[in-house]
Amino acid sequence: MLVSSYRVTRFAFQNFWRNFWLSVITISMLVLTLMTVNILLLLSAVTQQAIGLVEDRIEVSVYFHDSVEQETVDGAVAYLRSLSQVRDVETISAQEAYDQFVARHEGDEQIMASLVELGENPFGPTLVVKAEQAEDFAIILDALENPQFRDAIRDKDFSDYEQIVERIRSTTDRIRAFGIALSAIFLLIAILIVFNTVRMGIFIHREEIGIMRLVGASNGFIKAPFYLEMVLMSLIALSVTLIVLFPILSMLEPQFRVYFATESAGLLAFFTRNGFLIFGLEFLGLVLVCLFSTTLAMRKFLKV
Amino acid sequence: MIRFKHVSKIYPPNVVGVEGVSLHIRPGEFVSIVGKSGTGKSTLAKLLFAEERPTRGTIEIGGWDITNIHDRDIPLLRRQIGVVFQDFKLLPMKTVYENVAFALQVAGERPKRIREVVPAVLKIVNLEPMTDRYPRQLSGGEAQRVAIGRALVHSPKVLVADEPTGNLDTINTREIVDLLKKINEFGTTVALVTHDREVVNALKKRVITLEDGKITSDVEEGRYKL
Ligand SMILES: Nc1ncnc2c1ncn2[C@@H]1O[C@H](COP(=O)(O)OP(=O)(O)OP(=O)(O)O)[C@@H](O)[C@H]1O
Ligand SMILES: [Mg+2]
Repeated sequence: MLVSSYRVTRFAFQNFWRNFWLSVITISMLVLTLMTVNILLLLSAVTQQAIGLVEDRIEVSVYFHDSVEQETVDGAVAYLRSLSQVRDVETISAQEAYDQFVARHEGDEQIMASLVELGENPFGPTLVVKAEQAEDFAIILDALENPQFRDAIRDKDFSDYEQIVERIRSTTDRIRAFGIALSAIFLLIAILIVFNTVRMGIFIHREEIGIMRLVGASNGFIKAPFYLEMVLMSLIALSVTLIVLFPILSMLEPQFRVYFATESAGLLAFFTRNGFLIFGLEFLGLVLVCLFSTTLAMRKFLKV
Repeated sequence: MIRFKHVSKIYPPNVVGVEGVSLHIRPGEFVSIVGKSGTGKSTLAKLLFAEERPTRGTIEIGGWDITNIHDRDIPLLRRQIGVVFQDFKLLPMKTVYENVAFALQVAGERPKRIREVVPAVLKIVNLEPMTDRYPRQLSGGEAQRVAIGRALVHSPKVLVADEPTGNLDTINTREIVDLLKKINEFGTTVALVTHDREVVNALKKRVITLEDGKITSDVEEGRYKL
């Protein structure tokens, strides 16, 4: 068994080197396929990040009349907190609102003067409600129409982030559809190229294979090198992809960092955190596709 | 050892390879198969090592019915039947030693056993001084001896030789035939397909004559007639 696997391995490497350029083309195509898949993943990571950032900023400011009872405000807070769409409710008391206003307009004599003229705190309590997702926006606004405190609310203020999120989504969805189509095409080409590589391998070794048959080599022994060669090529393709991908990620990371104005764009993190899973699955998928294609080629060209 | 019962091989669409062949070759026999070109000699040989399957009839080798042999059992059969051809079928990139060892390697034999068997076989076929030569550095007779050596590595019960002397001059031919006789004396059943009148007449062994795919004569200690 051990001896056989050693010999099969040697045969596989021989196949690889004797068709060096064919091997290069095959591997290039496999790399191209893997790259598109990874760029798709990258796109999802970026989209996820962008939507997350936008969603972080989604908030509704609820201004109460200055005459409102504290009880009503507390009731509203408790009610909002109970909603699953609400991530957080921040309460700003009338005094805090006043202080914030003063701090913000410190330099503006005119405003300060009119504030003094009023003589009392014109502000009511304010709630800042954060939503889980952009879609939850409408539900929260609806919830604020609750008759229990509807009349105590002076004003509501929100920016419509839903549209922004929607735009990000539809753009990336379109890019993703294109990417998936591209991957599918590349995959198909990869299958054809692998098929052809195996066909050429069989053709080049037809004499050797014929002699193997005559002297009683088992089918497994004849086929194994071709399978092994494809596993080898998949492994090389994955390595090349990794070698190309990570510098690109490191280059993109600071750019996105600036764009998102965050500490980390999360691209590298995304790939390092899920690296084993992502690349493991990609390798597995690639090997399965190659083996499938190899089997097809052998069925057609390696007649017993 | 070998038993054909009413064997026909029709190549599609309707080319007759052999037709209605019945024969029995006993263990240790040396049988020459002769006939004009295209009369089905090679077809008969191919049926023996399951390169072709019969259209009708049954074939038995050593009690094993190989008429409808399964693909995955063919390697087992091939390890019990040595085959030799007119064109040697050696691998040009391998040395004499490697060509012989190859048959053991692809059967998954251990290196230790290969190191034992190959020199022994090379001794039988008298190629000890040339183990490191490549096929292109050999004469036809020497190349054929390598092929015979390779056919012997599994100690086959049957050796099938399809015109092994077809490319050789008289001296080399005699050498090869003597070698086949020697192998036969060690107990291997030999089936020799040949065109060569001299060879058949010198052998004084059983001769089966084919004509248009049919056996027209089967004589112990026969002579070449046609
Ligand atoms: N693979 C094949 N497909 C179709 N017909 C074939 C095939 N092999 C052989 N034949 C035909 O079967 C017949 C017998 O061929 P075979 O090769 O057995 O003859 P042979 O006696 O060995 O001839 P030779 O002495 O020239 O080698 C011939 O008519 C040949 O054309
Ligand atoms: Mg012939």
